[in-house]
Amino acid sequence: MYRLRRALTSVIAASALFAVAACSTSANTENGTGSGTSLTFLTFETPALTAKFWDDSITDALKSVPDTKINKIVSPNTDRNAYAKQLQASGQFPDILSSINPKDFIEANLLTPFDKAWLEENFLLPGANNIKGSTYIPPTNSQILPMVFYNKDVFAKNNITVPKTWAEFMTVVGKLKAAGVTPIELAGAEPWSASMPLVGLMSAHVLGKRPTWVADRYAGAAKFTDADVVAAVTKQRDLIQAGAFGKGALGVNYADANKQFLDGKSGMYLMGSWFIGQIKPEQAASFGSFLLPTEDGSLVVPFNVGGTTAVSAKAPDVAKATAFAKAWSLSPNNLRTLIETDGAFPMMKKLKLEDFGAKVTPVFTEAYTYVTSENTKVSSVGWVNNDDAMPPGVADLFYALSQQLFTNGDVKAQLAALDAAWDKAAGK
Amino acid sequence: MPSARTASRRRPLGLAPFLWVALLLYVAFLVYPVLNSLWTSFTDKNPLRAESSFVGFDNYTEMLTDERLRASLLFTVVVVVVVTLIANAIGLGFALLLNRQSVGYRVMRTLIFIPQVLSGVIVAIIWRSILTENGLLNAVLQRIGVTSAPVSWLGSTEMATLSLCAVVSWITIAFATVVYSASLRSVPPSLYEAAKMDGAGAVSRFRNVTFPMIAPGTTITVVLCLITTFKLYDVIAVLTGGGPANTTQSTAYYLIQLAFTNNLFGYSSAVAMLLLALTAGIAYLVTNVLRKREARL
Repeated sequence: MYRLRRALTSVIAASALFAVAACSTSANTENGTGSGTSLTFLTFETPALTAKFWDDSITDALKSVPDTKINKIVSPNTDRNAYAKQLQASGQFPDILSSINPKDFIEANLLTPFDKAWLEENFLLPGANNIKGSTYIPPTNSQILPMVFYNKDVFAKNNITVPKTWAEFMTVVGKLKAAGVTPIELAGAEPWSASMPLVGLMSAHVLGKRPTWVADRYAGAAKFTDADVVAAVTKQRDLIQAGAFGKGALGVNYADANKQFLDGKSGMYLMGSWFIGQIKPEQAASFGSFLLPTEDGSLVVPFNVGGTTAVSAKAPDVAKATAFAKAWSLSPNNLRTLIETDGAFPMMKKLKLEDFGAKVTPVFTEAYTYVTSENTKVSSVGWVNNDDAMPPGVADLFYALSQQLFTNGDVKAQLAALDAAWDKAAGK
Repeated sequence: MPSARTASRRRPLGLAPFLWVALLLYVAFLVYPVLNSLWTSFTDKNPLRAESSFVGFDNYTEMLTDERLRASLLFTVVVVVVVTLIANAIGLGFALLLNRQSVGYRVMRTLIFIPQVLSGVIVAIIWRSILTENGLLNAVLQRIGVTSAPVSWLGSTEMATLSLCAVVSWITIAFATVVYSASLRSVPPSLYEAAKMDGAGAVSRFRNVTFPMIAPGTTITVVLCLITTFKLYDVIAVLTGGGPANTTQSTAYYLIQLAFTNNLFGYSSAVAMLLLALTAGIAYLVTNVLRKREARL
């Protein structure tokens, strides 16, 4: 027993040592000078938005807010909302937060709105992120999600043209399948990326005809089990049954899906416009994009006006935090990085695309015309940051539904479960 | 030299501060959080709001009709049973194979322990890169001609569950191997010699000497496997994200979702209490059963 105890002690000691070692690194850093206000800034890092990007952007914004220090807090993953909630639960809600979905936080009076005059002065769609009449994240840039990216070489090789209607789209799927090419790439391993076909179908086929659908759902005047929603969601089942997605699509992660599509292993890829940032200039001639077709061929743009910095209503100096947030949001350098690496479409009133000096591909400029043109723009279901945002937790269930449809053909029952979850989350 | 009376007076005084510190730490970091969580489970607390209301047993009654909770419990039990069986069987096997006293075997025992000291997140990241569609495993299988198309290791409920069990077992086997190795070295060699003299073969020696004599090690390994697997979160979060379609959500994973995605602190605390009761109850039962076996030694 002595040896056993000794071994166990060693095991526990080693584990404790590694645990301490694992906890000893901290990504948090401090920028700024002087002995003035110290503010915390919640950020997140991706391959495109690196630590250097955040540090440089903070330094840049601080030039407009002297005598302020910024303590950068890095979210452990890209789910900034969940991390902000954890910080709030432990009494450490950040003073400034990047790219959060503000709806949950507003209901708890945790965020302070931006003044309307500043929004009107600086942004093309000043009210695009409005929640109950106020804006909590500046509408600096926008996304279309999903877009249908397609491989021009694969299309040309199989004599396929860009489909205009849903029937033509299904024909393209059939032709690609017959040619031995995976018709649609799907990053099915993660719910958010697996959701793209469903988001596209709901946005184009339901909100395209009834743009107020989400507001109606909140009011109880619309349901997921309504015939138009069932018909739209059934289209994803049709795609699955037609073999549109790869056999192991639910095991493919975002990075692998990107690679497979860019390597020409699939014909189309439904993804947010941020995917444009993944297409290298030397590849750009082979790729294009179109919008998910509707039954009658009418053009519907599933649109999301993204945001940058939200400000805590409990910040030690709300005025300074707001000044920093405004400076960060208006910085052309920051937006240039987002345009180049994240395919962000700028929505600034005083700056045109060329003013940013960003190097973009024809795929970007082609897609950007959907943003600048007059057309039917609807909320991208499950993704927007305004009044059309879903109740807490429902967006995740909606994303997961896209995965469930691969194994469960009872569309109506699954939509009824979503209705029940919505009512519960919305407190009805 | 102090008298016996002085010594008896000093001993408790000397130990008392350490006992108080230990007790204080125990209360601060275990008893208080558990009691706080228990209290929260009777409220409608939201992580975003300071105020909450007492809702009695509402959260507990809600659990009765929560299908996602039921699914997560079933999934957790499946993983716990599979991992505990695999970890103990293979851990014991490795321990028997490595039960030698040379430097080489000692090095191998250390190497086998590595997965246990790595963070679950790191292990999951490594395995995710191996199990992904374009990962190492599929590349090897395709290269040696076992399969022509890549296998979707994480793309269906069955395969994702299997993959998850394999990865968690890989971590737990390391721990089981070390505990069983230590247990095996505590078996008196004279027992084997006596068994040999009685004509017992290798299988008979294992069944009648080794297996009963390592009973304390079995108790520790089985109970700790049960407890650690019941609260499994990190590996799932990285490897499958609870998917596909929420089918690989453990109860621990589900309660974190409830708290920080659905903003249901009160309800997630009730689920945490259920998980605590289940884990403690099952661990207690299993410990009692295995202790009886130890008592027969």
